Parts: sequence; C-alpha cells; structure tokens
Amino acid sequence: MSVVILLAILLPMVVGMALLLVLAAKKEKDAQPTTEELKRLHITVAAVLVATAALGLAAAWLGSGDEGVTLFYLMKDIPVYFRIDELGKLYVTFISIVWVMVGMYSFVYMSHEGKEQRFFGYYLIVYGVLIALSFSGNIVTLYLFYELMTLATVPLVLHNGSREAIMAALKYLFYSMCGAYMGLFGIFFLYRYCDTLEFVPGGSLNMSLAQGHGTILLIAVFLMILGFGVKGGMLPMHAWLPTAHPVAPSPASAVLSGIIVKSGVLATIRVVFFMVGADFIRGTWVQTAWMTLTLITVFMGSLLAFREKVFKKRLAYSTVSQASYILFGLSVLQPQAMTGALLHTVFHAFIKTALFLTAGVFIFKCHKTRVEELPGIGRMMPKTLWCFTFASLALVGIPPASGFISKWYLAQGALQAKVGVYGWMGPVVLLASALLTAGYLLSVTTKGFFPGEAAQESYEDKEPSMGMLLPLIILAALTLLLGIFPNPLIGFAGRIASSVM
Amino acid sequence: MAFVQNFPFFCIILTLFGGPLSSILSGKAAKYVNGGIISAVGAMNVAVLAFVLRTGESYTYMMGHFPAPWGNEIRIGVLEAVMAVVFCIIMLLSMLGGIREREQHIEDSKQNLYYIMVNLLLSSLIALIYTNDLFTAYVFVEINTISACGLIMIRQNGRTIVAGTRYMIMSLLGSGMLLLGISFLYGLTGQLLMSNIKESVEGIVAAGTYYRPLLVAIGLMSVGLAIKSALFPFHAWLPDAYGYSTVSSAAILSSLVSKGYIFLLVKIFYRVIGFDIIRNSRIIHVLFVFGILGMIMGSVDAIRQNSIRRMIAYSSVAQIGYIYMGFGLGTTVGVVASLYHVISHAATKSLLFVAGSGLTEVSDGSTRFLDLTGAGYRHKLAGIAFTVGSLAMVGIPIFSGFISKLLFAQAAVGHHYKTLPTLIALAISTILNTVYFMKTVIRLYTPEKAAVIREKNFCTIHAWQEPVKSAALICFIIVNVILGLRSETIILMIERGLQMFG
Repeated sequence: MSVVILLAILLPMVVGMALLLVLAAKKEKDAQPTTEELKRLHITVAAVLVATAALGLAAAWLGSGDEGVTLFYLMKDIPVYFRIDELGKLYVTFISIVWVMVGMYSFVYMSHEGKEQRFFGYYLIVYGVLIALSFSGNIVTLYLFYELMTLATVPLVLHNGSREAIMAALKYLFYSMCGAYMGLFGIFFLYRYCDTLEFVPGGSLNMSLAQGHGTILLIAVFLMILGFGVKGGMLPMHAWLPTAHPVAPSPASAVLSGIIVKSGVLATIRVVFFMVGADFIRGTWVQTAWMTLTLITVFMGSLLAFREKVFKKRLAYSTVSQASYILFGLSVLQPQAMTGALLHTVFHAFIKTALFLTAGVFIFKCHKTRVEELPGIGRMMPKTLWCFTFASLALVGIPPASGFISKWYLAQGALQAKVGVYGWMGPVVLLASALLTAGYLLSVTTKGFFPGEAAQESYEDKEPSMGMLLPLIILAALTLLLGIFPNPLIGFAGRIASSVM
Repeated sequence: MAFVQNFPFFCIILTLFGGPLSSILSGKAAKYVNGGIISAVGAMNVAVLAFVLRTGESYTYMMGHFPAPWGNEIRIGVLEAVMAVVFCIIMLLSMLGGIREREQHIEDSKQNLYYIMVNLLLSSLIALIYTNDLFTAYVFVEINTISACGLIMIRQNGRTIVAGTRYMIMSLLGSGMLLLGISFLYGLTGQLLMSNIKESVEGIVAAGTYYRPLLVAIGLMSVGLAIKSALFPFHAWLPDAYGYSTVSSAAILSSLVSKGYIFLLVKIFYRVIGFDIIRNSRIIHVLFVFGILGMIMGSVDAIRQNSIRRMIAYSSVAQIGYIYMGFGLGTTVGVVASLYHVISHAATKSLLFVAGSGLTEVSDGSTRFLDLTGAGYRHKLAGIAFTVGSLAMVGIPIFSGFISKLLFAQAAVGHHYKTLPTLIALAISTILNTVYFMKTVIRLYTPEKAAVIREKNFCTIHAWQEPVKSAALICFIIVNVILGLRSETIILMIERGLQMFG
C-alpha cells in the first residue's frame, strides 16, 4: 500500500513538472498550440487526474488502516513521513472529487485564458502536493507541503500575467509566508514540549515538561492558530482572499476557495487536536480570542460580501465568512461542533467550487463580472443558474440542502459547550450571517430569472457545453444529495471528532 | 602512509605558489591557472575527505618530518576536509559567476593581481582549516586579511578605497587582539602546538592558579575573531566592503573569509582550550548575547537599505549572528547547527550576490530597488536564482536555510534556560528576513512600464548569453537544494568531525 501512497503523490507532480519542462524547452512559447496538441494535452491531463484520484482513493480506503511510509529523513529523527488516518481519508476524498471535476471544467474554460499547458502543469503539481498534505504523518511533513502548496499555487493566481494579477499573487505569497512562519515558530516549541512530532489523536503534549511554561506555550499555540488561519481567511489576515480570487482564472479561484482555504483548516485541526490537545487550550484566553476572531470574521465577511459588486469578489468574501464557520466550530472544542466543522469543510468545498464555476461560466460565455450585469442571466442559461441556486441554498442552509446539516451541528455544539456567552452568541451570529448569505446569493438568482424592468424582448440561448455543465451539475447535485443522505458522512465526521476529544 | 595523506600539504603549497606564478602571467592565463588550481584543490580535498571517512579517524601530518617544537604540523579530520571541499566549491562558483564583472571593474593591467590575491586567499583559508599550530594560524590570518583587502580595493573607485581602509583597520585590530591572546596563551603554557596547549590548559584549570589570565586570553582571541568575522557590533566595515567591491569579491568575502575565522574559533574552542572549559567560562554568554543582537539588528538594518547589494551585505550580519548564537548555546548540538549554517549561509549568500549582480546588470548597473523593478523578467535566470536564495534565507523547506533554522531550534530547545530567548530571536529574525527578502522578490517581479525601461536604458539578458554565469547560478541552486534535502549526510559528517576534533 505504501507504494500506492507515494505513487498518488508523485505521479501528478512528475507529470506536471514534465509538462512545464516541455513547455520551457519549446522555442516559441507564446505560439497558440494546435488543436491536435491541445487534444493530446487534455488526454494526458485527464488520464493523470483520473489515475491519481484512483490511486489516492485506493490508498485511503482500500488499505488496512494504520499504515505509514517514510520517504526520507529530512534530518535525524525528522522524517518526511506519510500516514493514512480518518481525517486524511476525508480530505483526500473531497479534494479528489473537486480536483477531477474542476479539471474537466478547465478543459473548456481555459481555452479562453490561454497558456493551457502551464496551467495544467501547475494544476497537477498542486494536486500531488495536496494529497501529500492530507496524508502527512507529522507536523514537519505537513509544513513542508504547506509551503510547497503556497509556492505551487502562486502561478495559478498570476496566470494571466497582468500587473494586477502579479501584485495579487505576491500579496498572496507574502500573507501565506508570514502565516506559515507563525506556524513554524510554534512548531519549534511543540518540538520540545510534545512527546513526538507525529500526529496523535488527542495530542501528545507532555504535561510534565509543559509545567510552568503554560503562558509561552499558549502564545505559541495562538500564533499557530493565527498563522495557519491566514490560509483559512481568518481575521486579521484575510485580505489576500478578495484580492487573489478575482484575478485568477475561475477554475483556479474555485480550488483556491474550495480546497486551498481548507488546507489552513487542516493544519489548524492537526495542531490543535493532534498535537497540543483540546484540553490544553479549553477555557484559556486562546480559546476566547479564537472564538471572538472567528465570529467577527463570519459576520464581517458576510457583510462585505453583501456590499460587494464584483461577483467573484463577493464569492471570495463569502469564503472568508464560511471558512470561519468551520474555524468557529473548531474553536468551541466540543465534539458536536467539530463534527459540524468537518461537515461544513466538505460541503463548503463542493458548494463554493460550484459557485465559482458558475461565475466562470458567466465570464466565459457573456464576459459578465459584475453583479449588476447579471439580471436576466437565468433566461440565457437556465441550467447553470439552477445549479447556482441549489448550491446557494445549500450555503444558506435551507433544509434539506447540505449546509443545513453542518450548521445545525455547529449551533448544537456551541450551545452544548461550556463557553459562556459564546454559547448563544455563536448561533446568533451564524444565523445573522446566514440571512446575509441568502441576501447576497439569492438576489442573483431572483434577478437572474426575473429581471423585471431590465428584461429584454428575447434571450439567446447561451447554455455552456456539456464539458462545463456536467461538473457543475454533479457538484450541485452533491450539495443536495449530501443533505438528503448525510448519515454516513455525519457518522464518519463524528468518529473523527470523538477520537480527538 | 597513504599518498592521499599528503594532499592537504600539496593544496597549501600549490595555492601558495599559484600566487607568485600568477604575477608573471597575463590576466587571461592567470584566470585559467586560478580556475585550475581551485578545481585541483577541490578534487584533492574530496579525496582526502573520502580517505578520512574510510579510516574513521583524523591524522597529523608533520611538515618535513620534523617533530613538534621545531617542525610544523597540520591535522586532518572529517570536519576539516568537509569545510575545505565546501570552500573550494563555493569559491569556484563565485569566481565563475563574477567573470564578466571582474573584466569590467578591474583595469586590464591589474587583472592578474586579482588572481594572485585569490590564490593567496585560498591558500590561507586551506591552511587555517588544516593547521595544528596556533602561530601558523596567526600568520595565515594575516595573509588572509591582506589578500581580502586587495580583493576589496582592486575595483578602483573612491568608495572601495575607503571601504578597504576601513576593513584593514578593523581587521588588523582583530588580528592584534588575536595575537595578544595567542601570546598570553604562550606565556601561560609555553606551547604553540594546539594539542600541547590543550594538555597544559587542562593542567592550569585543574590547578586553578592562572585561571583568570587564561580567561583573558580566551576573551581576546574570541573578540579578535569576532571582529574579523563581523559579529555585531563590530560590523561597521562590512556593508561598504561587500557593497561596493566587485561581485566575486563580495561573494568570496561574505561566504568564505568570515567563515574561515569562524572555523578557526571553533578550532580554538575544541582543540586549543577544550570545549568544557569554554562552556564553563562566561565568554559564551557574551557571544550569545551579541549573536542575538546581531540577528535582529542586522535584519533591521537590512530592511532600511535601498540598495540590493547593501541589503544582502547587512543580511550577512544577521546570519553571522545566528552562527555566534549557536556557539553561545554552549552545546555540541549548537555548534553542529552553527557549522551547518556556515555551509548553508556560504552557499546561499554567494548565490545571492551573483544573482544580484545579474539583476543590476539588466538595470543599467543600478543597485537601487527602484531601478530593479521588474528585473526578474529582464534576466530570468538571475531572478529565479535570487528567489531561490531568498526562499533559502527565509527558511522555506527544501532549501538549505530551513534545515539550519530547524537545527538551531532543535539546539535551543535542548538548553535549559536559553530556549526562550533563542526561539524568540529566531522568530523575530525570520519575520524580518521575510520582510526584506520577499519585498525584494516582489519588487523584482513587479512589471515595469515599457516607457521607463526604454528611458532608463534597461536591457534584457538571456541565460545563454552568459553561459558561465548561468552555469554558476544553476550549480548554486543545485547546491542549495541538495543542502536542503540531503542535509542528513552533511550533519552526520559534521558530528563525526567534531568528535574527532577534540
């Protein structure tokens, strides 16, 4: 099985790098590739995507459970080490689904952005890095791939090469690095005070060593939460999200929001629940500060999204808000809330990807980027807008769509946890933010189908081709289906949550 | 005795005679001779390294077979050989990377002078690494100083003369203190050979009679070498010396010359005095404090610079601070971390200087940040190399700097009361590093308007137009990645070398 893990990680990375090298060796880089070449590229990428997904899922689900593989030793007693556990399984599964879907969508979409080979090269590399990140068995491996992920996603953001895109990519890079360093600082401490750098459910903090160093350890943990929260778009370092998303090609912004933001969540979960242990920060100022920050982010993100007129930027602010739902669920340190957080991680990945893909369709077909331009869009592409509507309903949390389930668990968890005033304030903020979410997403639907005064006499049919529509439909259907049949997933997330607390 | 065992001696003699030989050659011939000598010395040291690794123990080599008080001894172990190999590689790459600048910056009649200096410098570095005699070490320290001065001043403009003079004054002050320390030690022990001094010093400490003069001697030697390797606050000579000299000088000075002195200091700690005595003296606390101050102040100064060369130079102050902080921890793990950082910083800093010169070249020779806007597009390879160097400096995994930071952290957490200051200093310094290196990278990749490029006379250079420099840059990048990924082997060698060292 260990070979399968390594193959799943290395295959996409190697093929991606090969694509880039071939491109670099080419004489006329800017020449538009012929249809023949494009077809070959698409077939290669599709084959690798499917093969990697198959390998990744096989490694996750067909193995006998606890298996580890050491790639090499970075230093004495610090190996680059992969291990499969429940959380990793969950991550690899939803990442694979999203990655294949978005890949399929990109085959059509990227024809208008150009430079396909470069895009798909990096796209594949990031996939390999993400699988490695999910399977990381110790904090240093996680950190290694966390930084690699940052470096490999930067080219996706600056794809079109405009000044604006480059500045956005550099902002993203700078924010991510500062965040990662706060994380690294914490790692140094955990190195001393934890029994092992490997992930142990419930944490491996050595209480006898930590005795008397409580304050400094709490500061270190808080810095780690803040640092990894940068990727998760948590206040005060969320500003890269609304800058990076609008300039990136839509498939790239879809995976940035759907997946990359979740990697910040993954790192936070690993640190808090698999290294430090929830008990250590329960009831301390760290928990209070963390809850406060996330709640402010939830509300502020929704508010900013509500006021934002550029469609993709609106979705980016929405991600800021929704990712903090997840982080709030974690910060409560209560099994049920954590179940909700994990569920929301999965649901939000599918939902936000679907929403960004819709935004991509609007750009691809009609060159519409602003919300004011969208009235009547539903007449032109009803199927697309229906997908958007279903995904939006799921995000708002209207039963039976999936978002309802996760928010239910989040609220339940918050109410049951002994966190004082936050117990009721959390659900209230979540509800208020849900209302705002309905306001900024469903208004697009209503205007789209019922343009009112802006109605035109006739609308031409602009429905996108099946290559773009199918991933969208599948993702939208998933957001609904997971809401109707949530039990296996709830059970699985619940097991993860109860294993660490 | 195996034939390989003669190689260290050959290296010293070969480089020493390479100097006078270059003086009668033309500049061009001297260049080839110099390149050949560095490669040959590197190859010989690789053979020596393989030999000592195989036998697993160090050996002493008597010059002319005269035993100690009359003859001169060198001693060869794993650590010495590793350092010698690294120094040769870095020196060769730095020389290759700066060929074009040298030809522009140095008058034709003085070309071969440069190679005399480089040969002498290499000779003194190798001798400093291998010698087992404290006074020989002092002699080569002086040769090192003089040739380093030459490397700075050879680019004839007002600034380098001032910088060279400054360097000379500070450096001679350092050598003076070193000499004083050595004479104290000689007075106390009556020996100059390192292993003999160690025996007598143990006696002195055990008897407790001359402990204070011994401390003074250690202090003088430490401070003298600290001045010469630009430990904060003795770094005032450094930015000008590195900032205005020609690029291969800057690369060699920052990555090799200061490191040679540091290596000598390690040698004094381990082989002359004995590390236990050093640990129990309070001198390491002083080094620790100044190391930490240097880490932070060097970075703060680097942020305030508006020229890329001076920024890289100030960053050296911070990195030297790291190394002294590692010594200051007073543990073997700390010294291992410091020695690893010596290697990783040598590889990275010379890369940065060479890449930086490529970037200024396409910006009409200007080193100001404002003019460097978009330089990463005009010289793509230099841009990539600079980015790699920056990532290594700020400590991204897979590059060398990350491993040194991890080693320092590891060393720090093993210490019972210096943990916290070390980690906090590491964190602050890392963030500051990120600020100024990423600021520069961002600047390099911020697109510049076409009109400005035309007006300011900026050009574009492709990698194949400067094959030698490009090859050097690519090698530098490879070295950095190897150091980042295969660090275990090197760390192991350093550890084994330190064991043999005592």
